Amino acid sequence: MAEMWISMGPQHPMTHGLWTLKVKVDGETIVDADPELGYLHRSVEKMGERRKYFMNTTLTDRLCYASSTTWTHCYVNSVEELMKVEVPQRAKYIRTIMLELQRLASHLMWAGAYMPDLGHITGALYFWRDRELFLNLLEAPSGSRLLYNYIRVGGVKRDLPDGFEAKTERVMKLFEQRLDEYADLFENSKIFRMRTEDVGKFSASQAQNLGITGPNLRGCGTKFDLRKHDTYEIYDEIDWDIQTREAGPGYGDCFSRYMVRIDEMKESIRIIRDCFKKMPAGPTLASQIPVRAQGEAFRRTEDSRGEALMYVVGDGSDRPYRWKIKSPMFTTISACPHYLKGYKVADIPAIMGSIDICIGETDK
Amino acid sequence: MSLFSFCKWMAEWTAEKMLIPIFEFQEGLFPPFSNPAGSVADWLGTDGGITTLAWLYAVNIAFAVGMTNLILVIHLERKIAARIQDRRGPMLSLRSFRELGEDLAGSAPSWKFKENYAGIGIIQNLADGIKAIAKELIVPAKADKFLFTMGPIIFISSSVFLLVLFPLSDRFAASSAPAGLMVIMAAFSIAPIGVLTSGWASNNKYSMIGGMRSAAQLMSYEIPLLLSMAGVFLMAGSYDPVVIVEQQQASSWFFGIPIWNFIPQFIGFIVFMICILAEVERVPFDLPEAEAELVEGWTTEYSGIRYMFFLMAEYIRGFAGAAVATILFLGGWAGPWPIPPEIWFLTKVYLIIIFWIFIRWSVPRIRTDQILELGWKKLLPLSLINLLIVIFMVEIYPYFSEIVSLPEVF
Repeated sequence: MAEMWISMGPQHPMTHGLWTLKVKVDGETIVDADPELGYLHRSVEKMGERRKYFMNTTLTDRLCYASSTTWTHCYVNSVEELMKVEVPQRAKYIRTIMLELQRLASHLMWAGAYMPDLGHITGALYFWRDRELFLNLLEAPSGSRLLYNYIRVGGVKRDLPDGFEAKTERVMKLFEQRLDEYADLFENSKIFRMRTEDVGKFSASQAQNLGITGPNLRGCGTKFDLRKHDTYEIYDEIDWDIQTREAGPGYGDCFSRYMVRIDEMKESIRIIRDCFKKMPAGPTLASQIPVRAQGEAFRRTEDSRGEALMYVVGDGSDRPYRWKIKSPMFTTISACPHYLKGYKVADIPAIMGSIDICIGETDK
Repeated sequence: MSLFSFCKWMAEWTAEKMLIPIFEFQEGLFPPFSNPAGSVADWLGTDGGITTLAWLYAVNIAFAVGMTNLILVIHLERKIAARIQDRRGPMLSLRSFRELGEDLAGSAPSWKFKENYAGIGIIQNLADGIKAIAKELIVPAKADKFLFTMGPIIFISSSVFLLVLFPLSDRFAASSAPAGLMVIMAAFSIAPIGVLTSGWASNNKYSMIGGMRSAAQLMSYEIPLLLSMAGVFLMAGSYDPVVIVEQQQASSWFFGIPIWNFIPQFIGFIVFMICILAEVERVPFDLPEAEAELVEGWTTEYSGIRYMFFLMAEYIRGFAGAAVATILFLGGWAGPWPIPPEIWFLTKVYLIIIFWIFIRWSVPRIRTDQILELGWKKLLPLSLINLLIVIFMVEIYPYFSEIVSLPEVF
């Protein structure tokens, strides 16, 4: 068969959002790839310049539908740095719990979306069933199930409800049991490993050069996590480890990226447990929160998908003068020709699914 | 009484009581209608006319049985898939959703069914059928219209043809050809032409890749499939399903277990089960219509009843494949007396189908190159080994004493 271009998207089951992947195939082998982004551009940064600092949390919530708390938190952190607000200790603990619950929900969303990519629809329903439990936990303090708007400049919206710890513990205990059950269905399954092992390989140095971060980088064996290396909130006081996996010396494949996320979910449960143990009493919102700000601030946090960077410039008014968002997925998707070439057409969903695409934050 | 003699009795009765009087009445009418009617009435009186009518009844009965089973299989698939996925499947009543309970975290309501609720979800199939008929038949702008229309027709007609080819028992058979199983396998291999035709005619790259994959897959799996069947043919000495089942019935019992073909030809049984799964294109071998990368493969551009034809044909082929496996390896309709042989046959077929449904909802799909590798490098040698074992058992072992007695010369 001669070489031809196939356009996958903007409406395609593989895309997990609204983007186009053009692949040049020779028979079933991928020769070239060309991602096209920007279908979902909502000019969040420009809109933010017309709104007050505290109003922008509604926009950051909508950056990524699967992981809205982490993005709001990144923005709030940078604004706090700009305004030099001191956040109460209890609020920091609550934020960490919410961030880790969000990471769990986001990774479960990814795992559920990844399974149909491999032709395993039951996996989607299993993981999304568990995601429901974590959404219920996120709903309990914030009042909504998708866009929480819970983390505010200077603290959090309100304190945790009564019995939240017991509920969380119950869910986490059940989820840990279920993860052990799923191991037989997924990572110990011969066909699952046939589809994911030695597919979509890239090395750690390649990932660093291409700007691939987060679980995708840790899936190459690189021990790098902003929660440890550029720590924020109370991650330095909590007892936890960075989870890494590698398929071979210094490189990762789809299976190692899958496993690193599963390990991260287990680690998140550990963080939440430790947070509940060490959480102090006290206020959850700073008493003095300024409205205006002057100067510039830069903050990067570990999003569920990689490094989220936010840069805010204030000119002394109550609105940001300039606001810049750097999305981890934008660089990762842009690098896809590097890790798609040479594989089969059937590997496209397996590879693109394994890097955990979220188009909301990519196109901003 | 066999199905055919029942049909013959019915044909005689209907011809005598209904058809001949009607045609004779029509003969008495004015010329344009009267001319053929008289000769038809005469023909129905002859033995040939009765036999033809009897065949027509037999085929229709087999078709009706097949279609009833098709609806049951689809419903079974939905229900078992739902149970595997922690759902309830089609229930057909909004009333049952009224009662709400609390979920594990206790903060949000979750669906709970009334305890005494018994649904009739099988009607979902009827609703699907009505929906498919009501939908518009879209033909893509630059598609080859004739081939695009012919694709589903080839696929569904060759699949429905399968329904009348296999017997449910030695008496319940619409057709009994001496080369029965060869005809079934020939009918099985018509479908790839329809797949390739519709994949090509859709003028869509996904469809074309799906069609090509299907052709490659079916071609590479046909060979180990037929080789694994060859062992059974050698053992029975016939292609006739009735003879094959009789040979398995006649085989001796081993500690209460009848030695059907799947015991002496265990390798062949495994190879056949994998190959027939690939032949009917079910998960994990459904890559021609891999929805993740090829949208819907070769069925992408089809809508309405044409798409429904593909879905139906797939289930019919699945049912026929399970029936062939039952005849060849699981003793067909053989079973203890009080339960009629037809029920035994359907029980075995349904057990295989349920096994397939469990596989379908618990494994991912495998890749094109992996499936071809499995077919050529593993299944083909295994089926040849099976054939060698059978040749030893059938052709060499019975004459072993003659070979060994040769040294008596010394």
